[in-house]
Amino acid sequence: MEILYNEIPAGVGSKGKIRLTGEDERKLLLNGARWAVERGYGAVSDLERIESGGCIEGANPDVISQKAYERGRAQQGTLGSGNHFLEIQHVDEIYDKNAADEMGLFHGQITIMIHTGSRGFGHQVCTDFLEVMEKAAVKYRIDLPDKELACAPFNSPEAQDYLAAMRAAANYAWANRQCITHWIRETFQRVFMASPRDLGISLIYDVAHNIAKIEEHTVRGKKMKLIVHRKGATRAFPPGHPELPDIYKRIGQPVLIPGDMGRASFVLLGTEKAMAETFGSTCHGAGRVMSRHQAIRQAKGRSIWREMEDMGIIVRSAGRGTLAEEMPEAYKDISNVVDVTHNAGISKKVARLRPLGVVKG
Amino acid sequence: MSIERLKRIDENRLEIPKDYKLGMRTNGIIFVDSVLENTLESGSIEQVANVATLPGIIGPSMAMPDIHTGYGFAIGGVAAFDLKEGIISPGGVGYDIN
Repeated sequence: MEILYNEIPAGVGSKGKIRLTGEDERKLLLNGARWAVERGYGAVSDLERIESGGCIEGANPDVISQKAYERGRAQQGTLGSGNHFLEIQHVDEIYDKNAADEMGLFHGQITIMIHTGSRGFGHQVCTDFLEVMEKAAVKYRIDLPDKELACAPFNSPEAQDYLAAMRAAANYAWANRQCITHWIRETFQRVFMASPRDLGISLIYDVAHNIAKIEEHTVRGKKMKLIVHRKGATRAFPPGHPELPDIYKRIGQPVLIPGDMGRASFVLLGTEKAMAETFGSTCHGAGRVMSRHQAIRQAKGRSIWREMEDMGIIVRSAGRGTLAEEMPEAYKDISNVVDVTHNAGISKKVARLRPLGVVKG
Repeated sequence: MSIERLKRIDENRLEIPKDYKLGMRTNGIIFVDSVLENTLESGSIEQVANVATLPGIIGPSMAMPDIHTGYGFAIGGVAAFDLKEGIISPGGVGYDIN
């Protein structure tokens, strides 16, 4: 854990080993994880196991603010803070043996989960375009019950620019996780003195959970293209869906649900029912029950680090504040959350992963 | 405005009826069972209802069981919009893109 913590930068505003030139950053925004693989981070075979192949078409580097470029320059290949993490886990329960076999998951196996996104770059894109959209909503006379719903008609220039900028941020996130994946493999290779192939460190899947995408769905028997917003929701496409790679065509799309650092995370599968009822979507995590401030108040006088250690979970964190914010009881019980999606049929449980070691920002 | 006005569809889903709030173009659906129902914040219910008022929304305004209050749209939210009549909103994706 110590070595991973040293190898993969974490914490608010953490800077990575990669320094992007302006030209590099533009290429990265256009090509996502493909950029990372071309630079030697990971393998081409990883790409088919990433949603949209790790690169969504239609990103436009020309609609990105200078401020976003600056924030993005040094943060590629970093974990960040908040609920983001890197976890070493073990598979402690298999619910669907057949699907687990297809994914290469088995009881007692060690897994590594990365939860991070587009870092300060994406945050800046959102900030920039909320300002644009507030004006656009007035311009296009959209009656909003809450100013925070600021939006623009899909075909307006404002909307198309946001879509192109958001896609660039999505690509930034896919590249970011791909770089981290590569360094994790390197670290394991060094520590265990064996190749990633011998160690069996292959990617199961990489999936987004804060994104808007144009997708085809069937609405009242009619096929329609829609712009699906998922905010804290994960795509959960069923077996046979044309967007899935061949390896997952039979079982459906793997869905990764990162939990809080003390309880568990889950691997699920997308279903036909999700396609019919939720535009192919399911949950994304445990979901907070306490605000960050509440959690910090509750953690006063406690050592969350020690409590985790007593549970047998090694934690390395850049700041005490993050640990307090992220303590397990600040979240709903992930098992309840996942059970609802499983029982409602919008995703299917495959495996439960228990944390062994956590790197937090 | 409160949780009493929601209707339980089945053991995993609550409905926000279309008449819950003025301007709703469709209903809302929150995926929660009776256990997670106790963790529902009134602010996040309002947010799911608010999204149902947006132009061009297709199908219900939905929220997953990990729902909690976010910027404009609830975290855990799913909403689809028509490409001709609908909108796109940064709040529907959030700050932590991807």
